[in-house]
Amino acid sequence: MIPTELLAHPFGQTITLTQLAATLDAAASWEAKNRLLVQLSRQLPDWPAEYKTADCKVSGCESQVWLRQDRSADGHWQVAADSDSRIVKGLLALVLTAYHHQPTNAVQTFDFEGWLQARGMQRFLTASRGNGLRAIVQTIEKQRQ
Amino acid sequence: MFDVAAFKQQFPLLGHYPELIYLDNAATTQKPRCVLDAERAYYETSNANVHRGAHRLAVAATEAYEGARDTVARFLNAASSDEIIFTRGATEALNLLANTVGMLLSPGDEIIVSTLEHHANLVPWQMLAERRQLSILPLGITASGEIDLAELATFLARPRARLLAISHASNAIGSIQDIQAICDMSRQHNCLTAVDGAQAVAHLPVDVQALGCDMYVFSGHKVYAPTGIGVAYIHNKLLQRIPPWQGGGEMIETVAFSGTRYATPPGHLEAGTPPIAQAVGLAAALTWLAQQDRAALLAHETALHQQLEDGLRAIPGVVIHGQAAHKLSLSALTFGHVHPYDVAQFLDAQQIAVRVGHHCAQPLQQALGITSSLRISLAAYNTADDVARCLAVLADTLDMLN
Repeated sequence: MIPTELLAHPFGQTITLTQLAATLDAAASWEAKNRLLVQLSRQLPDWPAEYKTADCKVSGCESQVWLRQDRSADGHWQVAADSDSRIVKGLLALVLTAYHHQPTNAVQTFDFEGWLQARGMQRFLTASRGNGLRAIVQTIEKQRQ
Repeated sequence: MFDVAAFKQQFPLLGHYPELIYLDNAATTQKPRCVLDAERAYYETSNANVHRGAHRLAVAATEAYEGARDTVARFLNAASSDEIIFTRGATEALNLLANTVGMLLSPGDEIIVSTLEHHANLVPWQMLAERRQLSILPLGITASGEIDLAELATFLARPRARLLAISHASNAIGSIQDIQAICDMSRQHNCLTAVDGAQAVAHLPVDVQALGCDMYVFSGHKVYAPTGIGVAYIHNKLLQRIPPWQGGGEMIETVAFSGTRYATPPGHLEAGTPPIAQAVGLAAALTWLAQQDRAALLAHETALHQQLEDGLRAIPGVVIHGQAAHKLSLSALTFGHVHPYDVAQFLDAQQIAVRVGHHCAQPLQQALGITSSLRISLAAYNTADDVARCLAVLADTLDMLN
């Protein structure tokens, strides 16, 4: 079970991908998108140190990323994540919007990379050694198989 | 007086992106037009395979390739061109050393590797140590980020210490080592010295005979030359004793199923068709660099670096790692709770290119107690405006993220 305090965020429930797409598309420059990611990161809870254990660390990122995932009793995937980088944490907010609190059969085919590309944010994918976004999404999908 | 604008104009990429502030020069430098022209001219007028062909183009190609070897020998002041072996880069050169010179070591022998080393000057030795039952002695650094010479003396006094692997200058924090003094110490204990010069060659004059090192390696692409070409200098006395490593064409004298005779050094260390055009590009870069007033280039870089570190010290929350007395024009930074990756993203949004991460020097990052840093590294085409702009955007970014 994921501690409830780690799940206290709006992504995937009150904030949807459609809303985020509109906000990101309105932020025209890289600078504006970076600022938006930092703002989004502030709505994700900072994990207390005791939850940042090695077993939930995602490797392949130059920043540190922790991710926990579980199925709730009502058949939804619960995802919580944190990072020591604000930008990566903002990207995690996007990932959680796509994957958190979704019905267990819903998000298997979601094209997150295509969604990011449509926002003009493919640089976060190609620079994957820096932010590990691909590794994060792959970890989520693999754990669901 | 060094004219940075005229110097910068020689770099087509920098002309292509007039707004770009390229401060990732320790990763790779941009290339002057003459280097690009030399590679293209080689393909347009001299392209053939080297050493074997019985036709005039093959002669031209061989002359170009062997001429490049002569140019490298002059650049390093090697006693002979035969002491120059072409590789894909510094990494392959270090692997070559581990697989050839390393074979002269016996089980139980010790290799001293400094904590400053790039993984390329550690992992090949570790792999060798595992295969040959050798030990690695990790050589510590001082608080300012220089080699701990007292510990080096202790290690060298050990009866089985046979080889010292050390960088001329650190890629991660910029410390420049007194290689000449270190080689002297090493030689007194009959210990071989392999110097990783990847970061040094673009900035410092290198004279392998004056330094007294047994081996010296570097990559072309960090000294204004193309990727895919590097150099291993091996002192002739050592070169004559070492076995080949990669087998194939070019490195043999005669081949038969009953036994193969290898080519004489350095040919026995270059198997297969070599990177000919890249060697030509490297020679063009080194020739071009030798024509510059290198003292003026270095003085310009040093002045920019002074401007950079003075500016960095005035920005609250910036920690500069590495305070060696002699430093390359690079600065490794952390920012307290602000992650270097985030800072780099905001710099990138303003077209300022820097590097973030462990810089392939994880043991050093562990010694410094950090997991990631942001590295600003300068080259002679950078300007005072580049530095001022970087400092301003950095200050704004930290202000916003804090």
